[in-house]
Amino acid sequence: MAEVVESSTTVFTAQCWELHNSPPFGSLVRVDSDPPVFGVVSDVATRSIEPGRRPIAYGIPEEQLREEQPQIFELLRTEFEAVIVGYEDSPYIRQFLPPHPPRIHSFVRPCSKDEVRTFTGQWDFLRMLLSAPRVPTDELIIAAVRSAFEAWDRDRNYLVRAGKELSRLLKNDYERLGSLVRRISQ
Amino acid sequence: MRRAKVIGVVTKGSLVEGVEMKLAPDQSVEDVKAGKFVVIEGEKNEFFSMITDIRLDATSSDILVHPPDGDGLMKDVLKGTSTYATVCLRPMLMLRKGGRSSTELRPVKSVPAHFSRVREAKEEDVGRVFGSEEMGPQYFQIGTPLDMETPVCLNLDRFIERSNGIFGKTGTGKTFLTRLVLSGLIRQGKAVTLVFDMHNEYGYSAMKESSEGARGFVKGLKQLFGNKVALFSLDPESTRARGVNPDHEVYISYDQVQVEDIAILQDELRLNPTAIESAHLLYAMYRRHWLRELLSKDGDEVKELAEQVGAHKESLAALHRKLKRFEHFPFMVHILREGDAIDRMMEYIDRGIHIVLEFGRQTSMLAYLLVANIIARRIHEKYVEKSEKYFATQRPEDEPRQLVLVLEEAHKFLNPVAAKQTAFGQIAREMRKYYVSLLVIDQRPSGIDEEVMSQIGTKIVALLNDERDIQAVLTGVSNSSGLRSVLASLDSKQQVLVLGHAVPMPVVVRTRDYDEKFYREVTRTQVAEDLEKEIEILYGERG
Repeated sequence: MAEVVESSTTVFTAQCWELHNSPPFGSLVRVDSDPPVFGVVSDVATRSIEPGRRPIAYGIPEEQLREEQPQIFELLRTEFEAVIVGYEDSPYIRQFLPPHPPRIHSFVRPCSKDEVRTFTGQWDFLRMLLSAPRVPTDELIIAAVRSAFEAWDRDRNYLVRAGKELSRLLKNDYERLGSLVRRISQ
Repeated sequence: MRRAKVIGVVTKGSLVEGVEMKLAPDQSVEDVKAGKFVVIEGEKNEFFSMITDIRLDATSSDILVHPPDGDGLMKDVLKGTSTYATVCLRPMLMLRKGGRSSTELRPVKSVPAHFSRVREAKEEDVGRVFGSEEMGPQYFQIGTPLDMETPVCLNLDRFIERSNGIFGKTGTGKTFLTRLVLSGLIRQGKAVTLVFDMHNEYGYSAMKESSEGARGFVKGLKQLFGNKVALFSLDPESTRARGVNPDHEVYISYDQVQVEDIAILQDELRLNPTAIESAHLLYAMYRRHWLRELLSKDGDEVKELAEQVGAHKESLAALHRKLKRFEHFPFMVHILREGDAIDRMMEYIDRGIHIVLEFGRQTSMLAYLLVANIIARRIHEKYVEKSEKYFATQRPEDEPRQLVLVLEEAHKFLNPVAAKQTAFGQIAREMRKYYVSLLVIDQRPSGIDEEVMSQIGTKIVALLNDERDIQAVLTGVSNSSGLRSVLASLDSKQQVLVLGHAVPMPVVVRTRDYDEKFYREVTRTQVAEDLEKEIEILYGERG
């Protein structure tokens, strides 16, 4: 579905094989490299492949544009960035940084429901998200917890446990906790 | 075996102030009740403890300033982590882990380690601490701990070693409790009891007070234990009217009244100290006939008498006037026709028969104070004699039987002034040296002399509201601060705090029902005993 094009210890960037076909913001993805690495999608962007050339606005619907000028879509790429939140050290899931970053050109795919459940059964990934640099932290946490919540079949207990975990991580920042919990539960 | 529920972990503690526990997040704070019996599982010891206080806490004051509104999720998120309940525990006893018998129980000399688990007490814990009726006749089941079904037992052997008290404000079931305890004592048969039954509630059926308004009658001790209990009556007519013949009628002669007996009536008769002095002067001249002599005089004769003995005229006249009230008491006589009732009582006591002294319609405080004091004084004298004899001969057959005097409205006899004058005060102070102890029943323990209170071994306390009463009951109890809140939060019926000599640790108990089931249980062993005796008589003792 996507391929790693840039990689470091804490984040990687992957390019989607199809335009606009990125996993959703906040969802859990898996890089099939050695070791398999888990990341949470923290930024999605679609831009021109040539940095100097920006797309031009045509003023016609996308369908019509695709018929009239299909080539311009070939010049666009969708990429996403993911914060690394753990890796698989079979048979365990580790929620700390892998010894090696994912290799370039490794394939990236969204995690299955079971994988999400297994991974989000532990809570240390929340702390990793909270301390990730250059990301909209609160929004990312909201999106990540909400997507995990879906995988847990919208079990309310899961939200309560997540909230308790956050309240521990945020210590005395009651206001922030309140805002997070409110938006997660919406 | 049911696994006991862990209700929290120890977070703080001190030997002096007790231990604090953070309530487990899955536990509702409203299920935690003051007075409940819990066990702390330390590293090496188990600590048997009582819940004394419960507090709501929050990690941040912000939460309290802006409480989560309406949002159920936020409340659930905070519950148990950011907002939590702290429960104060008072460890009462410790037992080495794996220890089985109650003999290994020791007073608490340490605190459990951090994060020791606290669990609800299991049935076997109650048995380990309080014993059970199967362990011997000295154990008498008095009720069950809060929210539990296992019986808590009083150790009657220890109970009769000291004077004891049953306290509680009106309507909390003191009389029922007393009947319960007396049934236990009678069944065990180690001590003999003499009940001053002011309101005729112990001997033969008594009215049942019920919160549902359904009134009825319950069985008295005589009905339960038959010839193990003798009914003495000051008012035989009243006793007969209730459908039972007293075993003995009690009369008191004027010659049996001593000056000390009048002295404790000072308050009741509003006598001033000079009146008592006049009585002493009379006594100096007429010895034991002083009262008869005084009451036989009228009008001016009293003044002559005053001159004769050298007393103040007016005060002797006042004494005369007030003691004239004695003549209205049907039980006061000049000559004892049927012999001395107190000697009869002693005979019964020597035979191990328990006595209930009914006052019938003579329910005035004056009659009660007078009679109880005269009888107690005489019996005490006889017991001192017997004990001295036993100390001299040291023969086991001379050892007097332990006697328990059961006394209602005890503060009238044991208030700081009276306690120094009455036989009861003396009995309470000298404890069991002379084989007599008291079971005092009172609704105002603050009225009882502190010295007497501190000698009371076992206290069975129902609800008390007055701060002074609570204070008085907890006199001489170590670490009493936690028990205070427990006492004030008891239910008004069938809940008591038992503490002192006869129980290894203070415990809140839901008292046993005094009903058909109870009747069967206390009399069952007696039937068996009687049978055994008859078998012995028929076939001789079994080797």
